[in-house]
Amino acid sequence: MSRTIAIHSSKGGTGKTSLALNLAGSYVSSGKKVCLMDMDSKGPSLHSFFNVTPNNYFNEYLRGAISIHETLTNIDLDRSGQKGELYVAFSDPEIGAIREFSTMDRKWQTKILKRLINAKKDLEGLGIDIIILDTSPGVEFGSVNAVAVSDFVLVTVKPNKICIQSIEQVINGIYRMLGKECAIIENMCPESKDHYCSLSNTNLEVPILESILCRCDISTLVCKEIITLQRPEHPYSKSVFRIRDKLDSHLNLD
Amino acid sequence: MCDTAKIELILKNLDEINEKLDKIIENNNHNHNHNNNDISEKEDDHGHTLDVMTLLTLPEHLRTTATALFELGTATADSVAEITKKERAVESNYLNQLVRMGHVKKQRLGRKVYFLVDDK
Repeated sequence: MSRTIAIHSSKGGTGKTSLALNLAGSYVSSGKKVCLMDMDSKGPSLHSFFNVTPNNYFNEYLRGAISIHETLTNIDLDRSGQKGELYVAFSDPEIGAIREFSTMDRKWQTKILKRLINAKKDLEGLGIDIIILDTSPGVEFGSVNAVAVSDFVLVTVKPNKICIQSIEQVINGIYRMLGKECAIIENMCPESKDHYCSLSNTNLEVPILESILCRCDISTLVCKEIITLQRPEHPYSKSVFRIRDKLDSHLNLD
Repeated sequence: MCDTAKIELILKNLDEINEKLDKIIENNNHNHNHNNNDISEKEDDHGHTLDVMTLLTLPEHLRTTATALFELGTATADSVAEITKKERAVESNYLNQLVRMGHVKKQRLGRKVYFLVDDK
């Protein structure tokens, strides 16, 4: 049975895409067949990282034009000698496609939700073990649809007042309302806990799976490689591996 | 007649009553739509759309039912009840509420009534 993890945040710039890529890498390194889906149709970014032009964009599937397997690009990981496989569904970065998806009406959103549910079932049929949804930040149709079809929500937060105040709304107003299990990843944390506003001091009653330390080299590395595959000993990779292991027990994947 | 047989008979009768109630509601909706054609046309915009934001505004019991129906696609009250772990009659009632709210469509095929989220 496949599991779907949505990576979401209430604010932008919290490291969702980096976490999505590296979590995907961590599951590949443990031999899993992973599908990473760019659900940020208003600000797609995975195409820039992989620098590929797929045969079909995920947008075509959402339009009902093609099947989900036609949107998948198999990422060549041969050189890294990994046991698992990585497939990516890219969102169309062209401004015309972004404009089109930004102005779709509510009937269309109902169809999208149905198609996402069917995509999950089809991906399971294709033998995918883990589906990772890289969502757009905040509360809008694309991200809430992604949360609605997920089995678990990882919410990335920067440890500052603005992020912490807005996180409560998405946890209570979206995740809990949709009956979703969720956990927090504190990202870009200063080394000393005295200098940041930790979520461990709040009453959210949501587990904090990991507090990832802020390091200058991460922002450079995440743009050019999947750190968990290329540098498994890097502190960022170790944080992501811990997240994966904790997720496994939440998702009964042990 | 033993207790088990009595219970089975009661359940069978309840199922028949549910089917009859479904038919009455169906006929009422049909007549209502027929008599209020103008109003229906005016309401036929996105006011009834069951998108994910609307789902969040529903009371918990209807949200659970609607979520299960999204998962199943087209389903009977029995199949929805299997997912929500509630009684079939309870789910039938909730599904019919969603039909009356215009979020869900209802189709009769033979003796069975099927529900699906309306996206047309």
